[in-house]
Amino acid sequence: MPSDLADGTANLSPTPSGPNEFVQPVAFKAMGRSGLWRRIVNVSAVVVCTASAAAALSVLFLIFGYMLFEGVRYLNLDFLTHLPLDTPMGMRNSIVGTLILVGLASVAGVPIGMLCGIYLVEYARKGWSSDIVRIVLDVLAGTPTVLLGVLVYTVMVVHHHGKQLTGFMGTFLDIVQHIQAWVGIPRHYSGWAGGVALAFIMVPIVARASEEMLRLVPRAHREASAALGASKAETLVRVVLPTAMSGIVTGILLAVARVAGETAPLFFTSFGNTAMTYNPSDQMDSLPERIYFYSQSSVPSQVHQSWAAALVLVSLITIFSAVMRIVTRKRRIRTH
Amino acid sequence: MSIGSLPPGATAPFNRRRRILREIFDRTVAGLAISGVLAMFGLLALIFLVLLDGAWMALVKVNWHFFTSSVWDPVKGHDHYGVLAFAYGTALTTFIALLLAVPVSIGTAVFIVRIAPRWLSGPVSFLVELLAAIPSVVYGLWGAFIMSPWLQNYPETWLYNALHNIHLIKLGYYPGSTPKYPLPEYFPANLVHGGPSGTDYLAGGLILAIMILPIITAITRDVLLQFPDSIEHGAYALGATWWQTTWLAINYCRVGIFGAAMLGMARAIGETMAIIMVIGNTDRISSSLFAGGQTLTGVFVNEFLEADRPIYFSAMMYVALTLLVSALVTTLAARFMINRIGTRHASEE
Repeated sequence: MPSDLADGTANLSPTPSGPNEFVQPVAFKAMGRSGLWRRIVNVSAVVVCTASAAAALSVLFLIFGYMLFEGVRYLNLDFLTHLPLDTPMGMRNSIVGTLILVGLASVAGVPIGMLCGIYLVEYARKGWSSDIVRIVLDVLAGTPTVLLGVLVYTVMVVHHHGKQLTGFMGTFLDIVQHIQAWVGIPRHYSGWAGGVALAFIMVPIVARASEEMLRLVPRAHREASAALGASKAETLVRVVLPTAMSGIVTGILLAVARVAGETAPLFFTSFGNTAMTYNPSDQMDSLPERIYFYSQSSVPSQVHQSWAAALVLVSLITIFSAVMRIVTRKRRIRTH
Repeated sequence: MSIGSLPPGATAPFNRRRRILREIFDRTVAGLAISGVLAMFGLLALIFLVLLDGAWMALVKVNWHFFTSSVWDPVKGHDHYGVLAFAYGTALTTFIALLLAVPVSIGTAVFIVRIAPRWLSGPVSFLVELLAAIPSVVYGLWGAFIMSPWLQNYPETWLYNALHNIHLIKLGYYPGSTPKYPLPEYFPANLVHGGPSGTDYLAGGLILAIMILPIITAITRDVLLQFPDSIEHGAYALGATWWQTTWLAINYCRVGIFGAAMLGMARAIGETMAIIMVIGNTDRISSSLFAGGQTLTGVFVNEFLEADRPIYFSAMMYVALTLLVSALVTTLAARFMINRIGTRHASEE
């Protein structure tokens, strides 16, 4: 063993006080006592790291295994075609409700998220302005989703009649009430409110993914497009977005998967419904909410239903992701 | 000069009308992008305004006593609001989750980056990230019906048999009880007081640990990948073993790993459904890991729609405001740390 390693004088950094000063040769000194000891520590570290990866994977397999096992046992055709109050119980309304809510959320959330990503990459100047936008998106992504439910509840759902609407918030709520009445969105629990809450959750995720993917598009593409006489927006729409699309779609899928499993904000917005409805102006049911309600039940058949619902929910997310991935793979443009 | 603008005096190879249309298209896209960003600014401001507006009455009337009392008594006429028990539940479960998840995440990330062969690291990384795609309510279902009974029968029973005679400190009365509401309940500093229950702080912490594992692993992996090859080769050249080099890498990336843990913490604080399904939902505080508890998000989801009186509703909004501020602080701190690793790497190029 080299002597400078053993007595800890080895200096790995090219410059003594450069950015590499964190390299502490002391670490070698502490551990490099003897060849055998070093080997024991080395091997046990490999074993510990491998074991922790195995632990993480085994948890995944345990969750998926139990979900498949219990879900398949209680899943049948009645589950997909019947309603919660029918005699063989089913969750047709919840499945349809989840699809409608996630569809509404995507329609609103995906474009706004992509616009934020586009702004960050194409239009924002490097400096504090783009930093602030990024911070705002990070904060929104880190906000507990319940709070977005509460926001939509206060702004779109709850009635303020009989209450004195004063001050800035009062004026704002009054304006929103008027707009809502004009558009025709009722002021009670509704699919619209649920969709809006989920859209707010989607936006930061989609924005982050779009930003990362748009940054990957080579500058040469943009320059080539500009050299051919395309304007900035034309370059964006015809060259940059198609190139980055498959990556952005992955981000969108992530957001959809995340939103499809959201439960807490829906308690305050779409609330749940045991009847069948396709109209977003009604209260809407969704699979996660139904899973929660039934899991708290003492009736065994309802608990069984919640297992089947969990399986259906996760399968829906998986199938949707797989289909979207296959569809976008064909349209991918090679970046080099 | 920005890309796409023509130099002065150049003649464009198309007619004037088309050029105007292009200009309009250009400006529309730019305007849309900016309005999307402005909408997000508005959304964040709106969350703050709505929560502040809602919580104002409680902010004035309950003030900071909100955080020093553990008595939650929303009955009409009593109206005593103290969230110490819920804040304690959030803090304790988050702490347990980090204690369990951070070492496992670092181990997994090291396995993915530095141990696994190329054909294995991709799938392992994908599978761990798959954990993040499972909805939290499914975690809750699994936790309530599979994990809790197992936890009660095996680990908690063993822990109880091992630790139930060890009292760390004997405290007096229930902390946070006020002279007006003296609670004749002891606070024994015994980690397993009450016996195995399965729906307790430990179960909440464990389910949170599983939920924040993928996010901490993913970021730690990304940060470890930024460890420069030059330092790695230098370490090997000096005779360092694999583990010593890895330890250098972990040390090099410690700020980023700390940031990853903070992001996991933010996630754990905001987590709602899984935890209310396993933690037992009792408005109490206990030193025992085997006692049922409640978190801030839990009390919020359970009681928000029942808050029928202005002061009760306002107290619920106060809880929401607390959640927002704590999530905001942890998220910002985490991002700051994770970005620092990136800029340091960039400055060395």
